[in-house]
Amino acid sequence: MYDLVIRNGRVVDGSGMPAFNADVAVKDGRIARIGRVDEPARRVIDASGKVVAPGFIDPHTHFDAQLLWDGYAKPALSHGVTTVVAGNCSLSLAPLKAEHRMKLVGMFNQIEEMPLKAFKEGVVWDWESFSEYLNRIRKGLAINVGQLVGHSVLRLWVMGEAAMERTATEQEIGAMQDLLRECLDAGAIGLSTSYVDMDETLKPVPSRYADAGEVDALASVLSEYGRVLQIVPEFYDPDLTIARLDQLAELSLKYAIPTTFSPLFVSADNVAAVERVMARVDEQFARGARVWPQVQTRPIDISFSFAVPSLLFIRLPGWYNVMRFGTPDEIIAAFSEPESRGKLVAEAMSQMDLWASLRLRHVAGDANRQYVGKTLAEIGQLRGVSPLEAMIDLSVEEKLDAHFLSESMGHNQDEHVGALLRHPRVHIGASDGGAHILSFSTYGDTGYLFGHFVRDEGLLTLEQAVKKVTSDTAAIWGIPDRGLLRPGLVADIVVFDPEQIDRGQEVYVQDVPGDGSRYVRDAHGVDTVIVAGGIAWSAADGYTDDARGAILPGELVAA
Amino acid sequence: MSATAQLSRVRKSILPQGGDTWETIAARELPGMAAADAVAALQSWNLHVFMRAAGGVGRLRSDNPILPSDVIFVEAPQA
Repeated sequence: MYDLVIRNGRVVDGSGMPAFNADVAVKDGRIARIGRVDEPARRVIDASGKVVAPGFIDPHTHFDAQLLWDGYAKPALSHGVTTVVAGNCSLSLAPLKAEHRMKLVGMFNQIEEMPLKAFKEGVVWDWESFSEYLNRIRKGLAINVGQLVGHSVLRLWVMGEAAMERTATEQEIGAMQDLLRECLDAGAIGLSTSYVDMDETLKPVPSRYADAGEVDALASVLSEYGRVLQIVPEFYDPDLTIARLDQLAELSLKYAIPTTFSPLFVSADNVAAVERVMARVDEQFARGARVWPQVQTRPIDISFSFAVPSLLFIRLPGWYNVMRFGTPDEIIAAFSEPESRGKLVAEAMSQMDLWASLRLRHVAGDANRQYVGKTLAEIGQLRGVSPLEAMIDLSVEEKLDAHFLSESMGHNQDEHVGALLRHPRVHIGASDGGAHILSFSTYGDTGYLFGHFVRDEGLLTLEQAVKKVTSDTAAIWGIPDRGLLRPGLVADIVVFDPEQIDRGQEVYVQDVPGDGSRYVRDAHGVDTVIVAGGIAWSAADGYTDDARGAILPGELVAA
Repeated sequence: MSATAQLSRVRKSILPQGGDTWETIAARELPGMAAADAVAALQSWNLHVFMRAAGGVGRLRSDNPILPSDVIFVEAPQA
């Protein structure tokens, strides 16, 4: 008797081969048979009219903190994501000495826009080493996790405060190599570093004080394990991006390791630049290097209120400093006092088109509810002020609890994004799941891929798209036994309706520790999500307590 | 194309050596130019580094804004 049989589905097995009709049987956490299955099973799922595919793998997330209080990485799992890679962008929560905890929280707060209160109220700090952290998140883990080691964190452990001041000595680099080995032995999937990020005091993060020799030395350790190097390049500039991908290619060739950089965006004003970047990627692959650009499926939009610093204002130092360092009362005062208000208005005047296009999406009180859904241009006209003044006034009146949405900020022209997504040397990822929780919803990117680019626009075939987010991802990241539907492989499976799947509406929810809120998207068109043979989530029953998530790669499935 | 095959030409850049400043990079990479002109050229080609010292967000230190991990372009953008 099988544990589970999924009957009458259309199997898209992750290989890119054409879909076919078959049943899928599961026993002891693994796929036992694909074909006609007549034998009985303890549980049967009728997948008539639905697609049966390998679970999706999301290679760029920041669920490091959320996994401490939510082993499902909600709502990612419900969108069909059965594996997430965390610890990107040089930031992981381990290895981490007790004295560096608040430093790292500050960096997560600044870079990934994760609330300080969630760390304070949602995290019990009972680990230091990487293996201790993994043991901590293993409890109740329902989703698989590939955990990167953050380069900035390695530096902090070995160098302390000097990590943010200087290059490392040979001895310190040797200590970082040993520490990285310890992490890889414990199950890390690779190393992440960043060339752009800043900490909570707006100083460069520790990884940016590393010279090329240090990165080379760490890459040599990755080579011993065949693990991945992930970087964040200066993605805003194509020449810098090309210089970084050349740097990665040399490391990939020298040490025979896979590398990946994220993000890569394409918009109307940078099509030629992205073509240059991709031409270079193609050249480097032709040399035998592995340099995978990560491209997200969703268009860029940003929500914000002035209660939380938003990266939308990073290029307006006056505004950003007020948001970053001011208390709520100080921010309101800066908006209210004529002199400071005048300076802020003057600094932001040149971007009036942006302010005019912003849409008011949420207010706390009733007085301004009439304006919700309108643009600031419309609200300004109704109030007889400029859009910028309207944004400031509403924020003061709502005691900073006025939320604005900047839509269509780029990466939103289907022909360009679609061409990039189906490029054979593009890695679909960069969701940022678990981060930027008050700026945008980082969930539902796979729903958007299948609903928008496959079904509605026809820019990728179903088989292409499934392969991109399953077996391709598993192969790039060296994740064994997953990413394909094959007898003998681990039964990570998603059942979805190809006519219904979508990313769902973005909604504002309060489910973050410390009474925090975030934007999420509820799954739409996903029927059942199976991890290691157990039903982890279904549209009918929601999340279950059958938590079979594993640390990947390498950890055996508990049957 | 093999690993040793020639890549197409892209904008020339270097990674800093220990203790590099605008002046040391200028002397090493642009030896044919007058020192002041070479420094000015480097700064104009590397606004992502130079602007850090200009007081904006991300300001590091005014004396030498070059980080050990920076990419430094040693020629102008290609037309």
